[in-house]
Amino acid sequence: MADYIPEIHQATLPNGMTLLGVEYDRVPWVSLTFMAKRGAEADPPGKAGAADWTAEFLTLGTEKRDQLQLARDIESRGASLSARGGWDATLVSLEGLAEDFPDLLATLAEVVQTPAFPAEEFPLLKERRKAELVHQLDDPRERANVRFLRLFFGDSPYGHAVQGNLKSAAALELADLQGFYRREFTAGTSSLVAVGMVDFPRMAEEAARLWGGWQGSGPASPPYTATPEKLCAPGIYLLDRPDLTQSEIRVGHLGVPRTHPDYFAIKLVNYILGAGGFSSRLMTRIRSDLGFTYGIRSSFHFRRAPGPFIISTFTPAANTAEVVKEIAQVVGEVRRQGVTADELAEAQSYHVGHFPLGLETSRGIGNQVISMDLYDLGRDYLKRYCDQIRDVTLNAAAQAANHHLKPDNLVTMVMGPGAQIADSLKQLGPVNFIDEI
Amino acid sequence: MTPSLKFDPAAWQPEIKMEQFRLDNGLTLLVLPDQRLPVVSVQIHYKVGSRHELPGITGISHLFEHLMFRGTKTLGPEEFSRILQAKGGEINAFTTRDHTSYFENLPAEHLELALKLEADRLLNLKLDDETFQPERQVVISERKLRSVDSPFGLVEEQLFATAYTQHPYHWPVIGWDQDLHRMTLEDCLAYYRDHYHPGSMSVVLAGDVDPEAARDLVDRYFGRIPPGPVRELTAQEPPQRGERRAVVKKVSQVEALLAGFHIVGMDHPDLYPLSLLSVILSGGKASRFYQDFVRPGKAVELSVELPPLPFSGQDRDLMMVLAVAAPGNPLAELEPEIWAAVDRLRREGVADSELARAKKLVRAQAVRSLAHNFFRGLLAGLFQVKTGDAGRANRILSAVDAVTRGDISRVANAYLQEDNRTVVTLKPVSPEESLALGELA
Repeated sequence: MADYIPEIHQATLPNGMTLLGVEYDRVPWVSLTFMAKRGAEADPPGKAGAADWTAEFLTLGTEKRDQLQLARDIESRGASLSARGGWDATLVSLEGLAEDFPDLLATLAEVVQTPAFPAEEFPLLKERRKAELVHQLDDPRERANVRFLRLFFGDSPYGHAVQGNLKSAAALELADLQGFYRREFTAGTSSLVAVGMVDFPRMAEEAARLWGGWQGSGPASPPYTATPEKLCAPGIYLLDRPDLTQSEIRVGHLGVPRTHPDYFAIKLVNYILGAGGFSSRLMTRIRSDLGFTYGIRSSFHFRRAPGPFIISTFTPAANTAEVVKEIAQVVGEVRRQGVTADELAEAQSYHVGHFPLGLETSRGIGNQVISMDLYDLGRDYLKRYCDQIRDVTLNAAAQAANHHLKPDNLVTMVMGPGAQIADSLKQLGPVNFIDEI
Repeated sequence: MTPSLKFDPAAWQPEIKMEQFRLDNGLTLLVLPDQRLPVVSVQIHYKVGSRHELPGITGISHLFEHLMFRGTKTLGPEEFSRILQAKGGEINAFTTRDHTSYFENLPAEHLELALKLEADRLLNLKLDDETFQPERQVVISERKLRSVDSPFGLVEEQLFATAYTQHPYHWPVIGWDQDLHRMTLEDCLAYYRDHYHPGSMSVVLAGDVDPEAARDLVDRYFGRIPPGPVRELTAQEPPQRGERRAVVKKVSQVEALLAGFHIVGMDHPDLYPLSLLSVILSGGKASRFYQDFVRPGKAVELSVELPPLPFSGQDRDLMMVLAVAAPGNPLAELEPEIWAAVDRLRREGVADSELARAKKLVRAQAVRSLAHNFFRGLLAGLFQVKTGDAGRANRILSAVDAVTRGDISRVANAYLQEDNRTVVTLKPVSPEESLALGELA
């Protein structure tokens, strides 16, 4: 067992909340994160963005301090407060110098436990968020990502952007944020993660003092673990953007939950398929051999419920159909033939060798602890990680490729100049024209 | 019960320990030992960036960076990356206006392999049409991604092209589209000969390494490579004499502007108060711009863009202001308000608390970043390659601490002047109008 792998300490606070702490000595820094284990998947229907907006709103004033005083007090210590909704969890984080640990933990407690929900801030938040959503439309990559999720998942919980959309932004009210907070921010479904140059007994003592009396309301929404009843039919979908010079391409199908027993085999197969940069088949074929793109990547989005598997790339418009065709071919090859022993050995060696690089920063360690806790991976997860990677056999990788890659079920969305690309795409199959959300 | 203390943050010292060596062929080696994790950041910084290019071959530094991954006499295309990545490495490179940097962050046990492969591609790079032509297409795609289709890419290109009339910062690092199309393999070969040799290199090893052993290893693989021509390039932009303005019309949901004020180069101490000034204006949510413009919904974004040391330009850089008007708030009304806010700061100066907040934020971010071997290596390596003095990495915090309110007022008045300003506005047009304006390139 490598002695550089940090010990993850755990304590249960008097209110039932879990504290996970890691002593970290590289620099005098501390990262503190409160995690409510419900996120954007718990946004009420028509109220997409509720989790993310609620998180930001907590930073806009407490019972003791308004937003400006809070920002001044935190930043005058060189610290930074951030809050965001995610999938499966909503996070409020405060990072700063380790010498300020007690004050930082107290401030995080104040923000999470005693938000003021100042009514005068809500219209400002709403206008800012609407403006950001409008601005986001100018980024082709982001726009394609959001449109693909909507196309693929429709109205099911993973079908919207975490930040919401212009329609939900118009519908969200202060009461929705207060409701999300009351429901989802409760001690029983929350954890506190602390990584920093602080002894664990001190972390535990301060956490018990500052957090032990807080309960929240609840009950939290039931955890979302379902598979949507209806998903987008496989095929080619075209969103016309005559002003673009390149096509944004998203290709995917449904993936698996984080707790799936094939997780490590899928992770390695996906590295070989499209997550391994120049070691991946997609990058080799479409960038190195054909020169069609600067980058291509595949990802399984592992969540509590089955998340999407998505391949993302872009290419000058003239290459669009050929790239779409090549992607399907590469996915089909990996599914049918599995991966080679050399590829698997390289993928395993990469993950094992790369592992200590993820332990350099307190934030890096913190993110791993958050994930461990959120998906019940066990406190010894980091210590077992390399063995679990090494234990994947060639046969297991072949099985994972065969079960979890579905070249016949691909939903392909292209966003690009239709006049230049529609005809060639039609050579590959029927093209369904779609509109903006 | 008071727990016994194992950690004492006050005992920690921010100083980066470094040892510097110089091989007979001119190669500079910096070793930054840190044995706490079994990893090392291997960095090779070549003193060549877009400022060393000439009109007609703009973008060649960056295109060449791509070619360095396309194989050697014994390795196939991208095999360099594959071999080191298979050891757990993060392998990449980046090109800036002033330098081209290659790095491998990997388990320390593979240090020798990384050095061997770096020396191999320096000596035995395979450069032929088979590797050159597809890579040129990749870069053309990258240019479309970063410049043409990105929200503000063309605006930023226009800003530098307008603010710099004589200095090579006039053109973008990725190069002009027509130069990428007409560049030849011969151009790349000549560039390789001129700029890729020990005299223009700084090697940085940050992490679990022993300095003497590291020096021996570097000497083994690089020591016999002959030195090349070292030509120091001097380039200057004449002082700007009056505001310059330009407009870019593009399909966009928002109106925006990107403005640039000429400031100083890396060798000038005014960079420290300027960096604090940028934090006072737009760093954090208590900053002036956030509170006065972003929070009340006048601007979607209003930020001062000045890369922190040592990432700012070697020569006189621009301090940029990016303003994205909120829908419904015309840019024509927003812009005068922004300059009025800047003028107010010039007239009235800043409060003690504002300066203290900015200093603490800069200090805290520096402390946090020092956890990364990669970042510590960049600090030392980029100071070395841009100023010849890696030791400046250890003097940033004291220089920041020494800045006074008077310094902030002085630099604000010296540089944030209308006559020294270039403003490029993004004017949204419909897709039809955009097509009528001709091809985007």
